[in-house]
Parts: sequence; C-alpha cells; structure tokens
Amino acid sequence: MKQRTHLLLSIASIVLLVAIIWWADGNLNAYYTRIANTAAIYIVAAVSYNLINGTVGALSLGPNGFMALGGYTIALLMLPVMQKQMVFFLEPLIWPFSEFSLPPSLYLVGLIISGIVAAIGAFLIGWPCLRLKGDYLAIATFGFGEIIFVLANNMLFLTNGALGIKGLPELTNLWWSWGMAAATIFLIKNIVNSSYGRAMRAVRDNEVAAEAMGINVTRIKMLAFVTSGFFGGISGALMVMLISTISPTLFMFTMTFNLLIIVVLGGLGSITGAAVTAVLFSVLQEVLRTVESPLNLGFIQWPGIPGMRMVVFSILLILMMLFYRRGLFGSWEFSWEWLLSKLRRKEVPQCQQQTNK
Amino acid sequence: MRRIILLTVIALSILSMSAIAAEPIKIGVNMEMTGAVAAYGQMGWEGLQVASELIPMEVLGRPIELVLVDNKSDRVEAATATTRLIERDKVVAIIGTMTSGNMLAAGAIAENYKVPMIGPSTTNVLVTQGKKFSFRACFRDDYQGQVAARFAYNELGARTAAVLSDINQDYCVALGKEFVNEFKRLGGRIVAEQYVRTGDQDFSAQLTIVKNANPDVLYVPNYYTENALIAIQAKALGIKAPILSGDGADAPELIAIGKDAVEGLMHTAFWHEKAATNELGKQYVEAYRKKFNKEPNAFGVLAADSLLIVIDAIKRAGSTDPVKIRDAMEATKDLDVFTGKVTIQNGDAIKSVVIREVRNGQFDYLTTVHPD
Repeated sequence: MKQRTHLLLSIASIVLLVAIIWWADGNLNAYYTRIANTAAIYIVAAVSYNLINGTVGALSLGPNGFMALGGYTIALLMLPVMQKQMVFFLEPLIWPFSEFSLPPSLYLVGLIISGIVAAIGAFLIGWPCLRLKGDYLAIATFGFGEIIFVLANNMLFLTNGALGIKGLPELTNLWWSWGMAAATIFLIKNIVNSSYGRAMRAVRDNEVAAEAMGINVTRIKMLAFVTSGFFGGISGALMVMLISTISPTLFMFTMTFNLLIIVVLGGLGSITGAAVTAVLFSVLQEVLRTVESPLNLGFIQWPGIPGMRMVVFSILLILMMLFYRRGLFGSWEFSWEWLLSKLRRKEVPQCQQQTNK
Repeated sequence: MRRIILLTVIALSILSMSAIAAEPIKIGVNMEMTGAVAAYGQMGWEGLQVASELIPMEVLGRPIELVLVDNKSDRVEAATATTRLIERDKVVAIIGTMTSGNMLAAGAIAENYKVPMIGPSTTNVLVTQGKKFSFRACFRDDYQGQVAARFAYNELGARTAAVLSDINQDYCVALGKEFVNEFKRLGGRIVAEQYVRTGDQDFSAQLTIVKNANPDVLYVPNYYTENALIAIQAKALGIKAPILSGDGADAPELIAIGKDAVEGLMHTAFWHEKAATNELGKQYVEAYRKKFNKEPNAFGVLAADSLLIVIDAIKRAGSTDPVKIRDAMEATKDLDVFTGKVTIQNGDAIKSVVIREVRNGQFDYLTTVHPD
C-alpha cells in the first residue's frame, strides 16, 4: 500500500515536471530559460559532486577536471566538420575527430560518451589517489584539475589551446538540462539507498570500522568517484552546449569552488540540499543584480556599484554558516513519507527519515 | 498622514520624471567588472564614462542610456548577462565584453537575437569569424603579429628571431604564431620558439636556449608581468638582442617591475597619446587625467571608441532597429574616433598600429604603421 502510494506520487511528480518544462519551453523568455538551464546544470554537477564529498566523505577538489573532460569530449564530437576546419587554424585537428561529427539527433549519445570519458578520467586518477586520505586526497585531486587545464592549453591539435573552440550548436534546452538533472537525482538517490550507498556512509563515518566489517574501502570509494566523474562529465558537456564555446579557462578551480559552496551550504551528504542550493545559487546570482544597478528616484540617485551582489552573497553565506552550521538541510532528505506525514500533521521519528525511500 | 503625503510626492515625482524625458535609447555594456580580469572591465567602464562626458549623449533626438551589467569575468554569466540586456533592458546594441573568451559565449547569443555587439579589446581571431553581429574596436591578434614581424624585419633589420610566448593566453599564442609565419614569409629565420606559462617566475631554461641561438630580435608577445621578468632575466644572462612585444606590455607596471631592464623594450600598441593627433584624442587624454588623476590606458580608450562607433551607426541608420544598426556599423568608414580613424571590415576594425619604446622609464612614441 505504502509502496504503491509512493510510486503513484513519483509518477505524478514526473508528469508535473514534464508539464512544467512543456509550459516553460513555450512561455518563459530566453533570459529566464537561461537561468533555468544553468540551475539544472548546477544540479547535475552538485548532486554528483556531493556523492564523493558528502556521502563518502572524501574531500575531492577535482570536479572541474571531470567537467572539462566531458566538455571537450562533447565539443569534439558535436562540432560540425566545417567549423572544425575554421576554428583549428593554428594547428589542424587530428584524425579521426577532423573527419566526423555527430548530428544533433545523437546528442544523447554524445552526452553519454562525454560522461564515460570523464568516468575513465576519474578511474585513472582514482586508482593511485583513493588510497590517500583527507588533505592528501584533496591535494591530489586538485592536481588532477590543474593537469587537465595544462593539457587543454598545450594540446593544440585536440583542444585548440587557449584560443578555445567556438560555434558549437546550442543543443542544451530545458528538456535536456532538467531531464538530465532528474535522471542524475534519481540514479544517485538509488545508489545512495542501495547497499553500496550504505557502505559509502559506513566508510564516511568510520573507515577502520567499515573495513573491519568487510567493506572494500578503496573499491567503494572508486565506485563513488567514477559515478561522480560520469555525471560531472555530463554536466560539463551540458554547460558547453549551452554557451556554445569552450576554452581551458571555463573550467578553472573557481568552478570547483562554486560547487563546494553549493554542497556545503546545502548540507554535506544531502541530495535534496545539493539540488535546492544549486537552484538558489543560480537564481540568486541574477536576482541580486538589482542591488548593483543604478537607481533613479528623481531626487535620489544611486550610481550602482558593480560587485555589490557578491558582497551581499558573501554576507548571506556567512549568516547561513553561522546559524545553520550543518548546511541548510543538514543530512535531511526529502521523501514522500515526510510529505505525507506533514500533510497528516504527524511526526516521523528521526531515524526513519534517513533510510526510507 | 505626513508619510502618505511624502509617498505621494515621491510617486508623482517619479512619474513626472519619466513622463518629461523622451524614451532613452539603451546601449548595453557587458563588462568584466569583478572576477579574474576585473581590471579590464573597470578600465573600459572608465573610458565609457569619460567619453559620455565629452560627446553629446543624444542621437535621433533621444538621450542615450548606458546599461551596465557585470559578467564576473565568467563565460556562463557573460552569456546570461547578454540575454538579460536584450530581453529585459531591450538594448539596441551592446558594448563589451573586454576579453575574447567571454565574447565568444556572449557573441553567440547576440547573433541569435540579431543585436550587434562590439568588443573593445577582444583580439582573438575567432571572435568575429563567421559572425554577422560580432564586432571589435581593436585589431586582430594575427594582424598585430604580422606588423611586429614586418617591423622587426624591415625597420630593425633582423634576419633571425626568437619567440617566447605564453601558452596559457590565446592572445599570446596567436601573436607568436602569426609573427613566426610572417617573419618566415619575409625571408627571416626563427631560431628558437619557446613557451612560458602565466605566473611563471623563472625563465632561465627558455632564455638559455634563446641565448645560444643568438637571435637578432627576441619577440615576447605576453602580458606585462611576464615581459618585465623576462627582460630582467634576459639582461642578467647577457642577451643583447632587442626585445619586441605586443600591447600586453602596455601597463605602467611593466616599468615598475622591469626598471632599467625594460629600457629599450619596444612594443606594438593601439595608440600613444603623442600619436593621438586628432582633437578627440587630445580631449580624451585631458579629460581622463582630470577625472581619474592617472594616465589613460588602451582598454578605456578602445571602449570609448566602441561607443562612438555605435552612436555613429545609430545616426547613419536613422533607426533603432538593431539589424539596421548592424549594417551601418559594418559600413563604418574613416570614422574619427579617439584613437584616430577607424574603418570596419567583416566586423574587424582596421586601424594603424603604433610602435612604442621604453625610454628613460617612460613609454615613448616611436612610429606608426598604417594599414595597407
């Protein structure tokens, strides 16, 4: 009975999401559409990043590297052959990429390949690094992001170096971005709630105890790392196909920093937190523009100070960290059970919230 | 009660203000006001402020309003900001962004909306390539590299050259590559081609190779910090070849860091106040000094040029239709702007290149190379 209600509610929410996207696609203006797209891409990036940082509790600073891998892969796959010849004028693009490009109808294939390439990158970096702990892992993964940056600058025959690539078809729309966001949340939620997920949390809470219980710590970390890399790559690819250009500076360390703000603010380990904060983050950036635009009330003239919104943003961040030290959502997750109990005005015991589906 | 009266007065005054003034023509300004390269955006905005005091901010009988948005030196934001300017503020044209990477993202949006966009200092070749609505007020990287090569070959009499460019900057890579191509085409020989990276402090490995190759000229098309450090270390190693650079060297910091090591360093540039022969240029230099109490820079004056190009185009188009403004911009010919005369061709500004030399701790005017 319970299961069936939840299934029905899930189906209903999917239908609702499709209806909202369908409505938004035709009625929102391009400005709001763009903010909505950015928000969804940040959801994919933050929710996948949260899997390593929150669920497994290993501080990784390399998601910008995964995003860059995914971004460059999709760029090489989707850029029309004619554009490839025009853009790579310093050094020609190497075979086979110079000879083919995927048609827009195969965007999904491109996205998945981008994810796989990023996942392979995650595997290669994870192999030596995941034996490290704490600060050492953070430094090693930070190095990974920097290596990707240096490679992108120097491999002119593949990336066009610092000049970057332009002229990509703008394929990311609300369907793709929000579809991917929903898929990411669904898949990662299922992983977290599976036995693998429980093992991940065991590793986070006490590595030695987890190992003593027979959990292969490195393997579990690797699983989280590769999954996170896969979705990180997809988010990078979506972003590149939204702004139609890529160059090494697009995925610098500041991107990781943004994601770190999102997951910490949302509550480490909370998928709900990561997703909601990702949306808040993208929307606030634009809403706060009003504080830096000039104001003319006739008798009062406020000139408008560029950068003001970052000051307001920082103050908000400090306040939130002071009053919600575990992030906005702590480790709380949204669930149908919680919603139903709220509707029935009945409290669910704390321990149930964590494990229910 | 008094509060109500006060509110009514405020509301009425707002209403009357908007009723009296004619509907302004809005020009968007999409700048890097904060973030990694905030200095460029701020210099650009300063230039626009000076320009708007010097020239009548009115066209077609309507006032011109500049709408500034910050793009945080970020590509995703640059694209969003462009959408915002066009959708919400209904601008007829956009000035900015200052850097090429952001312009590539923003230009794609402007192209979709058919709103012209002019980047004051976006020198990357790709910015206007294949685009109808992307313009620039500066010359392209490849052009600057070619001019430097011709100057080295013809004026300096160099037959061998070494190039030391910054692989992390699109601007430096493109200048270096074009210099090499043009220098070879003229009959010269490249004896060393080395790379450095932004933020490097020690260039002795690359400079030792340069010293052993013994070139007639050393071309370093990088930003001022790297250039100054390269000059210091080249001097210490005993490299006698003259150093030639691009407009990235155009900053007082070059001399502050390099001191006497940069003495005699030459570089190509957008302008020099002594070469600013027309009345507008002189006025600009004066007004800028007075307003900001410092020496004018290329980024500011190029942004000011962009404003003139847009206003002139609106005037000639006789309309605020962005597509007509775009056509008028493309037809810009020998327009007097702050840096001299400008003609626009395929979205690129055709301008003279000024060559400057550091003499007695100051940038001095050497010569001007006119477009052919």
